Amino acid sequence: MSYFESRLRINFDNLEEIRYRLTFCEKLGINHLILEPVNNSNNLKVGLLNKIKKFTNINLYYRFNLRPNNLNDFKKTLKKFNSFPHILGVETPDKEIQIQAAKDSRIDILSFSNEEIMKTISIGVISLIKQNNSFIEFSLAPIMMKSKRIQSKNFRNLYRFTKLVLDLKPNYIISGNFSELYHFRNPRSLLSICHTLLGMSLNDAKKGFRDNVQLLLERVKHRVNKNIFQEGVKFIKGGDNDYE
Amino acid sequence: MIMNKERQRYILFRIFNENKSKFDQNKILKAIWQSIWRYFGLKEANKTGLWLVELDLENDYGIIRCSHQTKELVISALTLITEINSEKIIFSPVKTSGTIRSLDKVKEIIFNRKKNS
Repeated sequence: MSYFESRLRINFDNLEEIRYRLTFCEKLGINHLILEPVNNSNNLKVGLLNKIKKFTNINLYYRFNLRPNNLNDFKKTLKKFNSFPHILGVETPDKEIQIQAAKDSRIDILSFSNEEIMKTISIGVISLIKQNNSFIEFSLAPIMMKSKRIQSKNFRNLYRFTKLVLDLKPNYIISGNFSELYHFRNPRSLLSICHTLLGMSLNDAKKGFRDNVQLLLERVKHRVNKNIFQEGVKFIKGGDNDYE
Repeated sequence: MIMNKERQRYILFRIFNENKSKFDQNKILKAIWQSIWRYFGLKEANKTGLWLVELDLENDYGIIRCSHQTKELVISALTLITEINSEKIIFSPVKTSGTIRSLDKVKEIIFNRKKNS
């Protein structure tokens, strides 16, 4: 299976833009794509998703990112997302919310895509993510800067972040998260950047672009399946009859 | 002392840009070298053995040759090019191979797909 672009923010109200961007991604050779509504409008309706699916041959998946203002706000909004059929992430610089999100099994991804948010990461949060088998995300969008000074600063931050994550060994995914069309890149090319400029081994980088994303999608699938209570525990229908 | 001959890799890449008439071979090659220098410096640049084997601006593709040890480096450098003379451009590596013949097969597949679409 080829590599995933784990985050592409798209305005779900504009179908023409979606079609154009998806066609562009297809030309770039992207085979698996996770889409996120750009204005966080909660309109991931089945009819709309089916329409989007017809635009392209790319395998599409969906995610939703919460950006709560405070802890109470976060707890309140999270109640709406019990057994959410898509990937659910949280992106916030607030450490209290990060800790709560890392503990909550409904949250799949704790995202550190923004360079400002990336600075707020702590060992405690990573440890909680590891315990809960959820995922940590970082993106390569900050490296596409024209200014050499800011670009090298962002590379340094990313390098420190990846080193910390690789040392503590939680599940992690790497996304592109590019907003401008001419910044889009094939995940295989981004993998090379992780290897050469961020000091990751090729296997570690492949985990972030492929293996861990597959694990994440399986986790979401299991959540939708009501017969699976927790990891490794599945209710088998008619199982009792077999023993009679 | 007999030295082993350095192995080489051929990288097929596609070019995406808004206005292709503005670019020529010199500008593209200069941009690739600049990118290698900017991100990896002289120490790595001298190991690459970079050679532009083929460039077809009509069909938007090119083939570059480098040493097998610096393959990832050259792919990174190609990926990090975002513009040439303020014109947005993408160099997207499609396939890497040890022989140019196998790249020809991939080229055929891409162009057949292009014609059909």
